[in-house]
Amino acid sequence: MNVRSVVRGTNGYPPLLAAIPDPPSKLWVRGDAALEVLARPAVAIVGARACSGYGRSVARLLATEAAAAGVVVVSGLARGIDGEAHRGAVAVRGVTVAVLGCGVDRDYPAAHAELARAIVDVGGLIVSEYEPGVEPAPWRFPARNRIIAGLARATVVVEARERSGALITADFALEDGREVLAVPGEITSTLSAGTNGLLRQGGTPVTSAADVLEAVGVGPVPVGATAPDDPTAAAVLEAMAGGASTADEIARTSGLAAGPLAAALAVLELAGSVVVEEGVVRSTIAR
Amino acid sequence: MLGRAVTFALVGLEPRRVEVEAHLRGGEQPSFAIVGLADRACQEAKHRVRSGVHSALLEWPRRAITVNLAPAALRKEGSGYDLAIALTILAASAQLPRERLEEHACIGELGLDGRVRPVAGTLAAAEGALRAGLRRILCAADSSGEAALAGVEAVGVRHLAEAVGYLLGHDAIAPAVPQENGHHVGPVPDLADVRGQERGRRALELASAGSHNLLLTGPPGTGKTMLARRLPSILPPLTQDEALEVTRIHSVAGTLPPGGGLLATPPFRAPHHGASAAAVIGGGSVPRPGEVSLAHRGVLLMDELPEFSRSVLEALRQPLEDGVVSVARVGGRALFPARFRLVATMNPCPCGARGDPRLECVCPPARIAAYRDKVSRALLDRFDLVVAMPRPRAEELAAGPSEPSAAVRARVVDAALQLASTSPRRASSASELLDRAVDRLPLTGRGRVRVARVARTVAILAGSEQVLPEHVAEALSYRAPAGLSSA
Repeated sequence: MNVRSVVRGTNGYPPLLAAIPDPPSKLWVRGDAALEVLARPAVAIVGARACSGYGRSVARLLATEAAAAGVVVVSGLARGIDGEAHRGAVAVRGVTVAVLGCGVDRDYPAAHAELARAIVDVGGLIVSEYEPGVEPAPWRFPARNRIIAGLARATVVVEARERSGALITADFALEDGREVLAVPGEITSTLSAGTNGLLRQGGTPVTSAADVLEAVGVGPVPVGATAPDDPTAAAVLEAMAGGASTADEIARTSGLAAGPLAAALAVLELAGSVVVEEGVVRSTIAR
Repeated sequence: MLGRAVTFALVGLEPRRVEVEAHLRGGEQPSFAIVGLADRACQEAKHRVRSGVHSALLEWPRRAITVNLAPAALRKEGSGYDLAIALTILAASAQLPRERLEEHACIGELGLDGRVRPVAGTLAAAEGALRAGLRRILCAADSSGEAALAGVEAVGVRHLAEAVGYLLGHDAIAPAVPQENGHHVGPVPDLADVRGQERGRRALELASAGSHNLLLTGPPGTGKTMLARRLPSILPPLTQDEALEVTRIHSVAGTLPPGGGLLATPPFRAPHHGASAAAVIGGGSVPRPGEVSLAHRGVLLMDELPEFSRSVLEALRQPLEDGVVSVARVGGRALFPARFRLVATMNPCPCGARGDPRLECVCPPARIAAYRDKVSRALLDRFDLVVAMPRPRAEELAAGPSEPSAAVRARVVDAALQLASTSPRRASSASELLDRAVDRLPLTGRGRVRVARVARTVAILAGSEQVLPEHVAEALSYRAPAGLSSA
C-alpha cells in the first residue's frame, strides 16, 4: 500500500484546499497517482447513506458523466450515494478521490474495501487528515466533510434528509465560496427534504449532468451509453421517457409482450443503458 | 399349532416383508403376547384383534397365544398389522385354511366391532407383495382401489368376518379395479383473476413449462402470493409413472384423500413459515416424508421465504440439488423423492416498504442485512427465475382482461412434452451473449447453468428449434440480482 503525506505550504498540497478557513496541516494520501490529481477540476458528489434507487442511479449517472469529461469526483466512501458516486467514476476508469474520517489504511466501511482498491487501481486517491491507523469515529466525519468540500470546485448533494451529514458538506462549500448544487426530489419524500430545502435557499438545481459540468467549468464529452438503434430497445426507452418505470408499465405503454420485453431489458442492462433495481427500471442515458 | 401370514413394514417408502406367526399352546393359562419389536400402537393390536374376533362371532382360542413379527430386528409401528395378526390366530386355531391365507398379503387396521380400516402405505405394501411373488392382497375395501394400482389382485373387505368368509371360500369377492383419478379436485384459482403482472405471469408460465424454481420479490400487496397460488392451474398433467410415485408418497404420509385412487394432478403444498425442518424436509424417529416430498412432481410454495427458520432454508438445498431427501436412521437409510418446483415470495426488506415508491423504508441497514442474510447466496442461486414485483406507480396504466389459465396451460403442456424429448442447441451468437453476460454481470457458474436452462425453455415456448440470443437475453433478465442477498 503506497501511503504518503503532504504538508500544507509544500509543493503538491492541493491549492483549493489551502484556500479554506481551516485547512488540515497535513494530508495523508494512499494510491500511486501523482498528487497533481488533487489540483485538477473536481466536483464533490455526496448524499445520504440510506438512499432510494432514484438517488443511487442519479449519483452514478452524474459521476460517470463528470469522470468521462475529465472531472475528478470527490466523495466520502460511505454507503449509499457516496459509494455510487465513486462507482460511477470507476466504471469509466475515471479519477475519483475518497476522503476518509479515519486513517487511509482503514477500509471503512468494510463493505467498501473492494471499492477503495478499485479507486486506487484506476488512478484515484484515498486521502485523510488522520494518520494511518486512526480508527473511524462519528465526530471525525463532519471535519472530513470540510475536506470534501474544500477539494472541489462545486458540491452536488444528490439526496439528503433534513439535518443530513451531506448538508454539512454543503454548508462548508458555501462558506468556502464554492457553488452548491442539489438534485430535485419528490416533495413528499423525506429522503429529498434536505436537497429540496437547499434549492429553496437558492442552491442550483441539477437537471442534467451538463449543469454539473457547467458549475465546474468543463465542457461535456459524450459517453459510451447512447441510444441503441434496435427498434425494440428504442420502443422500451420511449416508453420509459413517457414515465413507465416497471416492466409491466413498459409492456403496456409499448405494446411489447412480456417475453421480448424481458429480452430487450436484459440487452439494455448489459449495454449499461438502463439499471434495474427491485423491479424498477431507470435510464442511465443522459438527455 | 402354528399360523402364518405375510404383511409389509415400510422403511421410508420401501416395503419390507414381515412374517406374522401365531403359536397356540395348550395346558397353560390363556394369555396373549406380541413379540418382535412392536411399538405401542402395534402392542395395542391385542385389544383390537381380540374384540374384533369376538365381534365377527368367531372363537377366541383359550390358549397361550404368542404372535411373532419377523424379522425381529425390524421396528414395526402402527396398526396395519391388526388384520394379519387376527387372521394368523384364526388360522392357527383352524378356523380358516392356512395355505390359502399364505397366498395373500394382509394389511389393515381392525375396529373393536371387527371392521377393517384402511392404513397409510397400502400402495407401497401392495407393490411389496407383487415383488415378493404374492398375487393377492387382503386389505380394507376403502383402500382396495389404491392397492390395485400396484398391479396385484386387491381383495377389499369391510369386516373381519368377510375376510374369513372369503378365505374359507364361502364368499367370492371381485378383485378391485385400479382407481384412476378417484379424488375430487377442488376449484383451482385461475390466472384470469390476475390483472396486469405481465412479467410475473410470463415467469409463471416458464416455471411451469420448464420445471424451474421461481422467486417473487416485492412489497406487500403487489400480488406475489396471488400469482404463486395460480401455478397449479397451468401445470402439465402427471404421467402414469409420476402419478404412481406421487400416490405412493401420499399414501405413506397418510395424506391421500379418503377413498383415494391415483393422484393424477400435480400436488400443491404450502407449508406455514413456522414449520419445523422435520415437517418441511422430512424425518422424525420413524422417517416420514416432509412437505418437499409431498410436493414431489408438483409445487412447493414457501410464502415469506426469509421467515422460515434458517435450518429449514439450509436443509432445502439438498432436495433442490438432488431431487431426493435422505434420512439416516438406526434401521437404515430412508430415501424420499423430492423433485418439485419451488415457488417462494419475499419482501425486499423487513418493513416491506422497499420497492414501493409511495412509502419510505425505515429499516436500518443492519436489519436489512440480517433479513437478507437468511436467504443465502447458495439458496438464491437455486432459483432459475427471480422476478421483482414493484408496486405500479401509474394507476392509470390499468391492464385489460387477462388470459385464462386454460390457454396458458395448453402452451405449457406442448412445451413440456417437447422439452421431455428434445433439447434445442444453442446458436453460437447466443453462447457469445452468455459469455459476455458472465463477464459483465455478477453471474456464478451455477447461475450460468440456470440461465442456459431457462433460455432453453424460452426457446421451446417460442417454437424455436435453436436457442437464439433473444432467448438467452430474456433468461438473463430473470437472474438473481446481486443485491438480494448479503453474502
